[in-house]
Amino acid sequence: MKYLFLLAVILSFQFSVNGQNQEDEPLRIIVIGAHPDDADIRAGGTAALFADMGHKVKFLALTNGDAGHTSMGGGVLAKRRREEAKRSAEILGIEEYEVLDNHDGELIPSLHVRHQVIRRIRDWNADIVITHRPNDYHPDHRNTGIVVQDAAYLVIVPNITPDTPPLEKNPLFLYLEDNFQKPNSFSKDIAVVIDEVIDTKVRAMAAHESQMFEWLPWTRGVKKSEIPEERDERLAWLKKNEIERRFPTEKTFDREGIKAIQKWYPSTDPETVKYVEFFEISEFGKQPTEEEVLKLFPMLNKKE
Amino acid sequence: MNKNLIYFLSGTFILFNTFNILAQNEEDQKLNIIVIGAHPDDADNKAGGTAALFAKMGHRVKFLSVTNGDAGHQDMGGGVLAKLRRKESEEAARQLGIEEYKVLDNHDGELLPTLNVRHQIIREIRNWNADIVMSPRPADYHPDHRYTGVLVQDAAYLVIVPNVTPDTPPLEKNPVFLYLEDHFKKPTPFQPDIVVDIGQTFDEKIEGLNAHTSQMYEWLPWTERKLAEVPEGSEARLKWLEKTRSGSITSAERESLKKWYGKERGGEVEYAESFEICEYGKQPSEEEIRNLFPMLSKNQ
Amino acid sequence: MNKRIFLFFLLLSGISMYPQERENQPLNIIAIGAHPDDIDSRFGGTAALYSKMGHNVKFLALTNGDAGHTEMGGGVLAKVRREEAKRAGEILGVEYEVLDNHDGELMPSLHVRHQVIRKIREWDADVVLGLRPNDYHPDHRNAGIVVQDAAYLVIVPNVTPDTPPLEKNPVFLYMQDNFQKPNPFSKDIAVVIDEVVDLKIQALAAHESQMFEWLPWTRGVEESEIPKGNKERLAWLKERYTNRYTKNGNFDEEARNAIQKWYPSPDLSKVDHVEFFEVCEYGMQPTEEEIRQLFPMLGSKVSE
Repeated sequence: MKYLFLLAVILSFQFSVNGQNQEDEPLRIIVIGAHPDDADIRAGGTAALFADMGHKVKFLALTNGDAGHTSMGGGVLAKRRREEAKRSAEILGIEEYEVLDNHDGELIPSLHVRHQVIRRIRDWNADIVITHRPNDYHPDHRNTGIVVQDAAYLVIVPNITPDTPPLEKNPLFLYLEDNFQKPNSFSKDIAVVIDEVIDTKVRAMAAHESQMFEWLPWTRGVKKSEIPEERDERLAWLKKNEIERRFPTEKTFDREGIKAIQKWYPSTDPETVKYVEFFEISEFGKQPTEEEVLKLFPMLNKKE
Repeated sequence: MNKNLIYFLSGTFILFNTFNILAQNEEDQKLNIIVIGAHPDDADNKAGGTAALFAKMGHRVKFLSVTNGDAGHQDMGGGVLAKLRRKESEEAARQLGIEEYKVLDNHDGELLPTLNVRHQIIREIRNWNADIVMSPRPADYHPDHRYTGVLVQDAAYLVIVPNVTPDTPPLEKNPVFLYLEDHFKKPTPFQPDIVVDIGQTFDEKIEGLNAHTSQMYEWLPWTERKLAEVPEGSEARLKWLEKTRSGSITSAERESLKKWYGKERGGEVEYAESFEICEYGKQPSEEEIRNLFPMLSKNQ
Repeated sequence: MNKRIFLFFLLLSGISMYPQERENQPLNIIAIGAHPDDIDSRFGGTAALYSKMGHNVKFLALTNGDAGHTEMGGGVLAKVRREEAKRAGEILGVEYEVLDNHDGELMPSLHVRHQVIRKIREWDADVVLGLRPNDYHPDHRNAGIVVQDAAYLVIVPNVTPDTPPLEKNPVFLYMQDNFQKPNPFSKDIAVVIDEVVDLKIQALAAHESQMFEWLPWTRGVEESEIPKGNKERLAWLKERYTNRYTKNGNFDEEARNAIQKWYPSPDLSKVDHVEFFEVCEYGMQPTEEEIRQLFPMLGSKVSE
């Protein structure tokens, strides 16, 4: 009788520990961009929030960005961008930043790349996969969107790239925000307020020095003399030219944006919000209930 | 006496240089337009009238055919047909008054959005120093048209990246990319953002199409089982083309015409060609559109 | 003189017979999917109706489905699925061909496009059915694309000149899907399949490796939930498959309009199961009259 009682105690302990483990088990998120810096620009804030809460985030760049500069290219540039990515990861506090060796400006949604993506999603045991929509000015962004769509569902099929075990369930697939209207516009399905980590995000983006202060300004016709030298000034300039220019207030706080913020942050006054990252739910992954979204995005619905 | 000579000489010198600078500015003001179609005759069909207008106004127009059209005939094919269609394109270029008509050697009916064709197109756009690039939308019954659309989209933006096909210097700015018109509705319908009155050059357009004999009077009628309807004799044929290829103006295009040409003139236009602004190139303001399309005028 | 009159009447009867023969000539329909079983679930009922009326129907699977199972794969699975397809074909009264491209690896390459063009030509198709390029599965999307790519080219003699071109571009149709982006499926044609729905379920059941093994596994259905007896399995399948989007009770306004358009005076409450099709813009654009000719089962009395 005594032993039975002891057994019961031990068993119930197991159950409560298991329950606790389930709640405490970190979420696993993988953000797949075309070039080193793509994930940072559109999901850096959300990634930092996840990392702060103890969840496991990985950034994956499908190309090594070896075309994105005026006075450097090829292996030399790839090496530099890989190091920049590493520094950005440290600033954001994310677990890993991997840069594949496919050439910049030459990404095609081939089987080879598709299988690279499937293996990475599986190895990360991802709960959430985030990537570009296939509408975008850059063919690498479009093709990244396509190849990740092509990986959706197949990640659960054992006979596909059978050298890695299949995921147990098709993850939630999300799209990073973009501005394109055709054939259809981006849908602000999920809103993440990133005010508390905006400076972290800016510093992480600044780590991609070859892009933020050299390549991207050059493509926009910005003169070198316009770019400040001193560190704090550079960060302020970056905030204005890469964040506020890409995600202007009128666009963030349009009707759809405000609705999204109110939906996921019901006790927050949208007027007090400054910076938001939006995501669209892809039809090709798991179709989550509102409950499930709240579980997968624990930073939402914070009571102020 | 010497002083006067000096004044005279310096005056002449200044005048001479001023004219030179003005002339150079005029050179610089010439627009460079490249129209990219899948087959020889595609560009002519959708933008022949506009191209002829640009040419008349002194601008530089180039037609580029991504495939050589070597599948487009019921009795000929391969190299023989490609050679013929290339010749027809040269004649069409003469009729339209455009500067160049280039036909690449990719096979008809086999176009896919591969890197090597993407790079061919990037080089062509750069070498032409294009201000405006026109191509089909990726929605169309013909896979070559769709993939030409995808390929040109894939070239957009990359034309300014030095490390891509670094054997040609990058463009200074991403050009304006426009879609040629089509009637397909899915996934989205064509939007006639810019519509050009081609009444002035409708005859040139027809003469240009007429040059593509193997298509207008042989292949296309054959595909529609209408060979019997094709008339004999050059005069009758031109009239037939005028009738069958004049196109129609949708209500959306009519609205757009009124916007660009004013209500009165816009309402009277008989022949028009339309273009949609592609989101992946430069997004022009209304003023920039009027600069790029100097034939759009409420005054004429 | 008599001979002449006789010949004259013979000629006359010949002429009047000709249009009748044209009307009585069986239609040739080919439906193209990615895997064995794709077509059966979306077109099986309509196919059975065509077959009963004496028309020639062919199902073509572009891949051999060799990835779709947990315990089997490769050639072994392909062999099993090919046999299942053959049995399904016998039940529905259609020819069923399975090409040898690998499951999960279908690309809209020229090679596959040419396979499709040849098959459409050899069948002398009046109607071609395919999938829309919007779908969670990359094989479905690419199968949709490659059939679009074959449209029009089927009439071009210089393309795959080893097979004679079709005289006319056939009507191309899309089989139904539920995806909304970038644009939703359009219910252009509705076919009531009540009288053959049990045949359809039997045909689906022939794809045993899928209906009772692979698909439930992917959806997390416990093996214990799957019935064992034949009758029970058919009932279970009917419940799962006809509920998807074709069952009455799930008819939205667009569905009701479509059914009422093609069936003269239906009592909608008596209609249970319907298959819908969308007209593809890249094939021949049929008039309403032509659709009724190509779908001779329309407008017939809805079974009591």
